[in-house]
Amino acid sequence: MRRFSALSLNQKLAALAFLLGLGALFISPARGGAVSIRPDELARIVQTEIDHVTTDDLADWIMQGRADYRLIDLRDEKAYAEYHIPGAEHFPITRLADASLTRNERIVLYSDGGIHSAQAWFLLRARGYQGVYILRGGLDEWRDTVLFPVLAVAPGSFEARRNERLQARAVHFGGQARVSTGGSPEPVPVAAAPVPVTAAPVVAAPAPPPGASAPAAKKKKKEGC
Amino acid sequence: MNAPFFKYGMFGDETSLVIAFAIGIGFGFFLERAGFGSARKLVSQFYLNDLAVFKVMFTAIVTAMLGVTYLGWLGVLDVSLVYLTPTYLWPQIAGGLILGFGFVIGGYCPGTSVASMATGRVDGLAFALGLPAGTFVFAELFPWLKRFFLTGDFGLRTLPDVLGLSHGLVVFLVVLMALGGFYGASVLEGIFGTGDAPDDARQ
Repeated sequence: MRRFSALSLNQKLAALAFLLGLGALFISPARGGAVSIRPDELARIVQTEIDHVTTDDLADWIMQGRADYRLIDLRDEKAYAEYHIPGAEHFPITRLADASLTRNERIVLYSDGGIHSAQAWFLLRARGYQGVYILRGGLDEWRDTVLFPVLAVAPGSFEARRNERLQARAVHFGGQARVSTGGSPEPVPVAAAPVPVTAAPVVAAPAPPPGASAPAAKKKKKEGC
Repeated sequence: MNAPFFKYGMFGDETSLVIAFAIGIGFGFFLERAGFGSARKLVSQFYLNDLAVFKVMFTAIVTAMLGVTYLGWLGVLDVSLVYLTPTYLWPQIAGGLILGFGFVIGGYCPGTSVASMATGRVDGLAFALGLPAGTFVFAELFPWLKRFFLTGDFGLRTLPDVLGLSHGLVVFLVVLMALGGFYGASVLEGIFGTGDAPDDARQ
């Protein structure tokens, strides 16, 4: 003890850092195993909807070429083979437990509507996955807002820009924007025939052509000394 | 209660800004107390006669790393929700070089320039005004820079992934690297030092 007290403060701190570093060899920061479900916490997440990703956001991420998330398609194999969102991986809900997902990544789930992804969200949360998100409205909404969005009729300058953006985005993903006629609830295609959903690209799309999109500037984290 | 609090929705954007402001003030205070409000002190690391910047920054890295590791192990912090900067290799190398050149020429990096301005230094003020000006120019040029901005996309990479080592082993190696670096810095200060370095640096 006397020898330790004879050390300078810096030397004591260095010794402490060394011991803590040595201890780190035997621990893992991400503890697996038993996970307790906290209903109040889950309820708060559900209510605040912070577990949702919108189709607009997802389309932006794909077009920007972001790689900081995993997109999981929960539908059956046939539906996945027919069409899936670019970059999506196929994991049926029954195999989710064995899927090669780690807790250290952002996972976005989608199914046709929202029910299966909500159930899968709960399964993953219960297994201790924290970064799990649901694509709001699922593939149905993706189809309605990204692949075949309805354009404003007789647009002003703001809507015209929006129309342009939606049209470019739809084409980027192999879809086609539509316009809504008068009082008709059914939108009709702009072109002679819309590209069928099955024709949409099934692999990750390349970088968008210049001017094809003007995604809203994302909040960037400020870092540095 | 689990961290990170913001991601669990325990407070909103407004509260997070207030907390960020408080943390920023604290950060600036400690930068100033470490002597980093002075450009002379900061650039002397490039002349190898005072490596306080290296030591303070590496100490911060080791402290944060050990804190994250142990809090994650205790279950207080969910490491999987801690923000990781995606790797865009080439633009990040370019950005690092630009920042480095600016640091050598002017003597400040962004945080220290604000700390310096707060102490009334005019050169710090010039730097702090240059920050929003540079941000504005970058934003205006972004359409032309966008293609380069997204090159070298490696996604979210961590040292354990890249090196294929366990998290604990990487932590241990970084601690060893820091301790070796501190010792080496003291030796360099002994050789190149002007004699006004703090006492502990010459031990």
